Amino acid sequence: MEKVFIDGLSFAAPLFVMAMGGIYSEKSGVTNLAVEGFQGFGAFVGALVAVMLMPILGDGSQTVIYIAMAAAFVGGGIYACIHGLLCVKFRADQVISGVVVNILAVSLTTFLTSAVNKALTGGQSSNKFILGVSDRFTIPGISNIPVIGALFKNMYPYEIVIVVIAVAAWYLMYRTRFGMHLRACGENPQSVDAAGGNVTRTRFIAVMISGALSGVGGICYAYSISANFSPNIYMGYGYLAIAAMIFGNWNILPTAAVCLFFGLAKSGGYQLCLGMGLSSNYSDLFMMLPYILTLLLLTFFSKKNHPPKAVGEAYDAGKR
Amino acid sequence: MKPKQKNRFASLLDSEKWSSVTIPALSVILSLITASIMLLILGKNPATAFLSFLQGSGFVSKPGYGGGGGMLTDFFTYLNVLAPMLLASLGFVMAFKAGLFNIGIAGQMLAAGFLATAIIGYSGLSAWLAKPLVILVGAAAGGLLGAFVGFLKYKFNIHEVVSTIMLNYIISYLTGFFINDRFADSLTRSMKICSDSARLSWTDVQIAGMKCSIPLGIALALAAAFVVKFIFDKTVFGFELRAVGRNPICARYTGIKVGRRIVVSLMLSGMLAGLAGVTYYCGYYNTIVPKSLAGMGYDAIAVALLGNSSPIGAIFASILITIFQNGSNYMSSTLGVAKEIASLITGILLLFSACGGYFRYLAHRRLERAVDEEAQKAAAESDAPEISENGKEG
Repeated sequence: MEKVFIDGLSFAAPLFVMAMGGIYSEKSGVTNLAVEGFQGFGAFVGALVAVMLMPILGDGSQTVIYIAMAAAFVGGGIYACIHGLLCVKFRADQVISGVVVNILAVSLTTFLTSAVNKALTGGQSSNKFILGVSDRFTIPGISNIPVIGALFKNMYPYEIVIVVIAVAAWYLMYRTRFGMHLRACGENPQSVDAAGGNVTRTRFIAVMISGALSGVGGICYAYSISANFSPNIYMGYGYLAIAAMIFGNWNILPTAAVCLFFGLAKSGGYQLCLGMGLSSNYSDLFMMLPYILTLLLLTFFSKKNHPPKAVGEAYDAGKR
Repeated sequence: MKPKQKNRFASLLDSEKWSSVTIPALSVILSLITASIMLLILGKNPATAFLSFLQGSGFVSKPGYGGGGGMLTDFFTYLNVLAPMLLASLGFVMAFKAGLFNIGIAGQMLAAGFLATAIIGYSGLSAWLAKPLVILVGAAAGGLLGAFVGFLKYKFNIHEVVSTIMLNYIISYLTGFFINDRFADSLTRSMKICSDSARLSWTDVQIAGMKCSIPLGIALALAAAFVVKFIFDKTVFGFELRAVGRNPICARYTGIKVGRRIVVSLMLSGMLAGLAGVTYYCGYYNTIVPKSLAGMGYDAIAVALLGNSSPIGAIFASILITIFQNGSNYMSSTLGVAKEIASLITGILLLFSACGGYFRYLAHRRLERAVDEEAQKAAAESDAPEISENGKEG
């Protein structure tokens, strides 16, 4: 039972930070199906930096993960410029752009990974960066509370980082002038223009923040959960994050709850499979659980939701 | 004279008649230039690389061949890949014209291939019965999945991109489970091979002393392209689909049943994807690796966008992109560049295709400016003839 909470939270936290990335972009009025690509590219940059640093800092060093997370933050943000350029500047169809960015991310990172590996090892071209696993820690005191306490046991350090980022992101969106403009860009961009804001710039920055947050989510999966970076990073968690955002009605706090629910469903299903003593073949069936739940929940929630009004439209200053 | 030359280029890009050809051509040229630059950075000769892509696809003969092989062998293998690629991109076009994004082609292909292999592939029916049945099962499986996605969109307002992607993963795990549990080959761990009588390619046919595998799917794919073109150009149904794609609210006011059109268009799209699946898994291949979705399902989107989302454009675009995908192995072995560069080129091509609208917009603006300038000049000329003399010289 404890394991369900521990694994659930470690899965939910990166998912949440990615969903937050999606929220930033969509609240500013740019449809974001590119979360999957952003997280993959961010993870690639983070993993690349980690692989470069590991020989210098020593294999066991724990500072690498923080540097990798920072690198993923920057890398995801820079990669998101493509989506920003296509959607905001070039006024391309935002759904197409998202799909393009995803496909490009898969091919680009796969190609670069094998090219870099070849250059580093000389001859051997594998499409994997082997990464470490970060240490875990337990918060004394709270972790002794029955049931809920398990959430604070054996935590990955990134879970704390993500909570900090989440608070900062919430503050930026709901308590600052920039956040106000950003949300208005998604509802009524013309009014932002009238009030003296710059719609193009705000949206572009929002997409970059979106990429940066998604990148952090990606490196968390790569560094700690799978302990390597390979094309397997494209497991569809980016899309899962989008689904979480839709249930969360494009709001940060409800989205966090949905992500936690996904995480618990996934780890719960897996533990159930182990607990029932089924063969490993059956784990595939339980792996479907988050996706089926997504579809099921969407059937209930999709109609009631209120996406930002101007989402998906290129900004047209002359429109009434 | 010089600005006129520039404007001719712009007017080619912007003309109603030619822009559907010139814009994709520009995207292709730009991405080939980008790819060449990348190859140069890696220290390879781009010309040899592009030549080896063509050699790998059987368009240009290689310096040497293995036993029983030849240029025709490569070419027929190429056609074997081309058939599912074209069908899959037609599937995307079918939905895209109605304003829908069927990202689930990969999953629909897998489901169709799996069901066709499991139901018909092991049945031991004769070839005359088995082959049509495989096609039928494939189309039915894909069509049902597509219709389901359309139903979710129509009834519950679930965006088809999200639902198809969820279905992709569900199908991938579900078929993976059944393959591992029931149909796994004990040696290769992939699905037991589909019998030759059910396979949609005639394997090991001797043509001019070369062993070839002749795809039946290519005829199917070309026929499908013209059927799709006919539906969109000549039928009321096709017109209604396009109307829904352009403006669903307007379409509703004119009395078109938008919800039903959405379901039907996604069903047809899924059927084409299902056909792509059977030509891929029971034609080009004869087995399925569990839990892996075909990258072709996504490449098909690139093909459709590059082909201006028209069925005939898709034929040309799939010919081009399949050269890269199919020739990548040979290219990789001769040049020592990772073969992932093929998907990278596809990705870049996709990126430039997505900018197509912007290129056209730029060209349009340039022409408008030229017209404005001319008008200003003419105005200046009529006002003060002396100044215009100077203007002409400058």
